[in-house]
Amino acid sequence: MSKRPLDGLKILDFTHVVAGPFATRILGDLGADVIKINCAARALTSNAPEHPFYIMWNRNKRALSLNMATDQGRRLGKALALQADVVIDNFSVGVLDRWGVGYEDTRTDNPGVIYVQMSGMGDSGPWSKFVTYAPTIHAISGLTSLTGVPGREDVGIGYSYNDHQAGLHGAFAVLAALERRRRSGRGQRIDISQFEVGVNFSGPSLMDLFVNGRAAKATGNKLPYDQAAPHNVYRCASKRGEGLVNERWIAIACMQESHWQALKQQMDNPAWADAEDFSSMAKRYANSEALDAQINAWTVDQDEYELMARLQAAGVPAGVVQNGIDLVEQDPELTYRDFCHRIEDTHPDIGQTWCDRLPLHFDRTPCDEYQRVRALGEDNEDVLRDWLGMSEEEISALDQETLT
Amino acid sequence: MLTKSYIALCGKLKGEGVAEAQGALAGVRVLDLTDERGIYGAKLLADLGADVVRIEPPDGDALRARGPHIDDRADAESSLYYAFFGSNRRSFVADIEQVHAQNQVRDLAAKCDVLLLCDGRYASALVAEMEHRQEQVVVQCSSFGTGGPWAPYAAPDLVAGALAGQVATTGDERTTPLKTFGELNFMVSGAYVGIAALAGLYYQRESGLGQSVEVPVHECIASCIEQVFMFYWYENTLMREEGQVLPRRGPTHWSDAYTVMNGVDGSIMITPTPDFDAQLAWLIEEDAHGDLIDPKYEEPENLRERIVATMATLSDWVANKSVEPLFYEAQERHIPYGWVQPIERVGDNPQLLARDWFVEHQVGEQTVRSSGAPYQFSETPWQLNDHALAGQDTDAILSEIGWSQNNE
Repeated sequence: MSKRPLDGLKILDFTHVVAGPFATRILGDLGADVIKINCAARALTSNAPEHPFYIMWNRNKRALSLNMATDQGRRLGKALALQADVVIDNFSVGVLDRWGVGYEDTRTDNPGVIYVQMSGMGDSGPWSKFVTYAPTIHAISGLTSLTGVPGREDVGIGYSYNDHQAGLHGAFAVLAALERRRRSGRGQRIDISQFEVGVNFSGPSLMDLFVNGRAAKATGNKLPYDQAAPHNVYRCASKRGEGLVNERWIAIACMQESHWQALKQQMDNPAWADAEDFSSMAKRYANSEALDAQINAWTVDQDEYELMARLQAAGVPAGVVQNGIDLVEQDPELTYRDFCHRIEDTHPDIGQTWCDRLPLHFDRTPCDEYQRVRALGEDNEDVLRDWLGMSEEEISALDQETLT
Repeated sequence: MLTKSYIALCGKLKGEGVAEAQGALAGVRVLDLTDERGIYGAKLLADLGADVVRIEPPDGDALRARGPHIDDRADAESSLYYAFFGSNRRSFVADIEQVHAQNQVRDLAAKCDVLLLCDGRYASALVAEMEHRQEQVVVQCSSFGTGGPWAPYAAPDLVAGALAGQVATTGDERTTPLKTFGELNFMVSGAYVGIAALAGLYYQRESGLGQSVEVPVHECIASCIEQVFMFYWYENTLMREEGQVLPRRGPTHWSDAYTVMNGVDGSIMITPTPDFDAQLAWLIEEDAHGDLIDPKYEEPENLRERIVATMATLSDWVANKSVEPLFYEAQERHIPYGWVQPIERVGDNPQLLARDWFVEHQVGEQTVRSSGAPYQFSETPWQLNDHALAGQDTDAILSEIGWSQNNE
């Protein structure tokens, strides 16, 4: 195996759903030894190792089945925490403490340990006990009301953006704490409120609110503060049939005058484009509805990929609105990178699995290893041996209930 | 809220070695030559205490023109976009048309642990082409990476989101496909830039060896679109009538069990998860349960039918509700509803206020209230210093790298 950046780093992973598992997925892709804790009682629906959702977030981790409802399970959990560089969870606040494996339980004997608690609302405040999933966070953080079209607040984001971002911030925070530990010798506890991660993304708009008293609203495909036009998606010819998923669209974003002039040329300089209403960026922005209608009439009969290639060659930022089929079957960049990666090791229960690769390309320590998702408890013996030095006999002597 | 004296203390300590009051990354030297695609990563590093120097051209960083602006002024010192994304930087102005300035930039770059580059950004090519010390971590962010057929393509956030699958997921049958608000796609690639820098630095600390890390925005965004690849790869397991691609359908989660509904005075995200029985009990209390007590819904094979029926029942029920009390009552019952908040309510949110989350700092002459930390470190707090004016640190940085007026 080749060297990866985080080889040798030990991570004890109590996370579930997306945000936490995405953080540890990134760290695992980077080479850390991530021990994913699960148990039969919790391995249900999307937390079941054979569920596609679980498969998406839990490659490159070893699976330890540990029943934390048992005394022996909690003792093993504590022993593992004492060996860990990083302990991470996204339970509600206080769960690890109740199990006796919280930061205060561990740091005396493992002063370098880094604890990351990725709860919905953080460990304090009147909403700290609130229950959240990504759609909850989107709603209360303003992301739902801001993403959409003017006059509506019920459009929102069509996937769990904030879960991914919380995962990215979790991984980043771990790496920052490791850098600090190298100099101080000490770990620390990191409280990540997924709500605060989400609100953070509206930073400029919040400043605009506080300074100028202006409350941002959804702007469709326009930029909220800067004038760029045309800046929208436009229909293209569909050769795939009826329905929303078969619609074809192209995004065109003229960020500067040269983009517009190049677009005009590609449209064969139609007379309407020379109208006074479209004679400057400010005027095009002010009259963008009429502008978009004209461009839409031009794109609607065209093939989206051919048009993109032509516009890009002419210097116009343009891109096909790609869906999942396009990404896997048509995207030459993702193909070039083997981004949609078929995992060689076939899963004994699930069969073939796939993964989307880590989008970071290290030239000295490439992260090209992708281990399939593990079945519940598949690595019990290896983990207990590697982390705790337990013998086969000692493992066999454990209560059956502990490792289920 | 951080006090001004604390902020001032942190500012004085900057660049003077490691102290406990500093952030986790104090002592890490970073050169920031990012544009919109990577600047959020530079911000993450700077806000945790790294000494991040951003090079600007003599007429100022192009991103200083980005809105919103204080009082809608057009000057470079009033950009709130720049105050947010350019936080905690030191600003170094260099005219790289001049040979001596090129040498200054190279000398500055040579002293850094991490170089953050975006192709096409001012001075980025100059630093990319210089010989790097083998200990340095060089993060190269670009729209599509190098070598692939789309490498020359230009991709602002909307185009990047379209090509990487984000835009197709968002919007509904009444709208076109939609980008997310602002430039949320570039905040994904920015976060990856930060991770690339620190992962490279971790390996450098272990081995003494730096390296180059390529960060293609296209792949970054594609790695964060949740259900899209899952529906393609596991169609046969999921057995959904939609097949390999879900149509855009507003905020409705791929599981169908979360969506935004409209009450009498606003919108609210409604879900019966994680405990359908608790939700049903609440509906029974209010005699709004319809046929959801039918025993067929207890059968696991009827889960999807139960979800659809429950969401339809909830939609009727919510339509007559005021959303604020509904949100708080749901949370009392440990049901994860989410009240759709406009930004003015976010700015006045009791949870954020209780955690002293908002922070004040100076942007030019103005004291500006800003968003706070995305994480709380117990020992090395995140901090927000006063915002740098263009070129305000040039002389100090020249002195640090051994340049003076005499050797220009």
